[in-house]
Amino acid sequence: MYLKYGPLFSLLLSFTLLLTFCTDNKKQVTSVLPTNDSEIVKKGATNPYLPIDLSPADIIYFPVDYPVAKMSGKTAALPFARVIYSRPHKQGRKIFGGLLKYGEPWRLGANEATEIEFFKPVTIQNKKIGAGRYMMYCIPGPEFWTIAFNTNIYSWGLTIDQSKDLFRFKTTVQPSALPIEYFTMVFEKTGSGADLIMAWDDVVSKLPISF
Amino acid sequence: MKKILFALMLSFSMAAVAQTSVAPTMSKLPALDQSPMDMAYFPVDYPLQKIKDKPMEPLVARVVYSRPQKGGRSIFGELVEYNKVWRLGANEATELEFFKDVKIGGKKVPKGRYTLYALPDSTQWTLIINKDTDIWGAFKYDEKKDIVRITLPVQKMKEVVDPFTMAFEKTTSGANLIAAWDDERVVLPIIVY
Repeated sequence: MYLKYGPLFSLLLSFTLLLTFCTDNKKQVTSVLPTNDSEIVKKGATNPYLPIDLSPADIIYFPVDYPVAKMSGKTAALPFARVIYSRPHKQGRKIFGGLLKYGEPWRLGANEATEIEFFKPVTIQNKKIGAGRYMMYCIPGPEFWTIAFNTNIYSWGLTIDQSKDLFRFKTTVQPSALPIEYFTMVFEKTGSGADLIMAWDDVVSKLPISF
Repeated sequence: MKKILFALMLSFSMAAVAQTSVAPTMSKLPALDQSPMDMAYFPVDYPLQKIKDKPMEPLVARVVYSRPQKGGRSIFGELVEYNKVWRLGANEATELEFFKDVKIGGKKVPKGRYTLYALPDSTQWTLIINKDTDIWGAFKYDEKKDIVRITLPVQKMKEVVDPFTMAFEKTTSGANLIAAWDDERVVLPIIVY
């Protein structure tokens, strides 16, 4: 009896142990990630008037935390750039090549199309881009993404009209060391300007911008 | 027994592998905001209309604001103190943008980007349209940069709104911008030329 079920038992035990470790592992990852995610957003609390979006919007600036710097009197100059985008959750799904098909346009977020605004002219991959607002989207691929700036701003992010593209850039895709639950965009200062980091699931891509 | 030991060792080593493969290197990515952002357009649902092939009215206004949640707290007169300038949301100050000239409180407001603040009191709020944009909170509010101030009566609601909510609604002369939280709301009339 023991001999018959021995291997099965040990296999089960190892799975249990593995699971225990994975759970511990998960805990560790969570403790490394910022912990102040809204419980109410997580639970998807509803409101009879207008519920909170499942994929809430967010705004990022360059310089990073510009509004706080302005508030504390550290800057009076205009910001260089800002992005308004929405933050869908991974929720256990395979994102790139799964939920998002390779080669098909993606709004680089959720809900309304993502908006990027430059407060002064910038250069991206040797192309001069004037100050102003652009709708921004992505065509993901396994190794490269196409990042497009398009004139159809203030639109919902579906049925993207590629004939309205003004600029297209190619960015490389890097694996992310840490699984990223919420789609995240953030500026990171570089020697010549900033990288616009776009990260979700197991993938990170960067668009270098010169100011 | 050996098999169990082997399984134990295997699971330990696999767990160790799993541990190293998720080495944290991107801990600085921002978490989801406690008070997430949202936006509202006028005409209502303009972005959705825009991707449908049908004629539409021109874009008039957009508000970008954050949505703090009541979460069982008493809001007006306590969390949001009376007669203190409030950012009308959370995090970054609320942004109100007009894509064409409008009239508010009898004054012309030229198209452009503004910050919208509130000065709440028990029976009425003063809404303030100010031209200092891209700023955090109401900590550096500068009265000299006001474009218009308008005092509006507080309307009590029967149902409690948990997340602070802003929305436009169509009127005969333009639009109302509604700001609602807890059991109170104010309605800002906007005349569209």
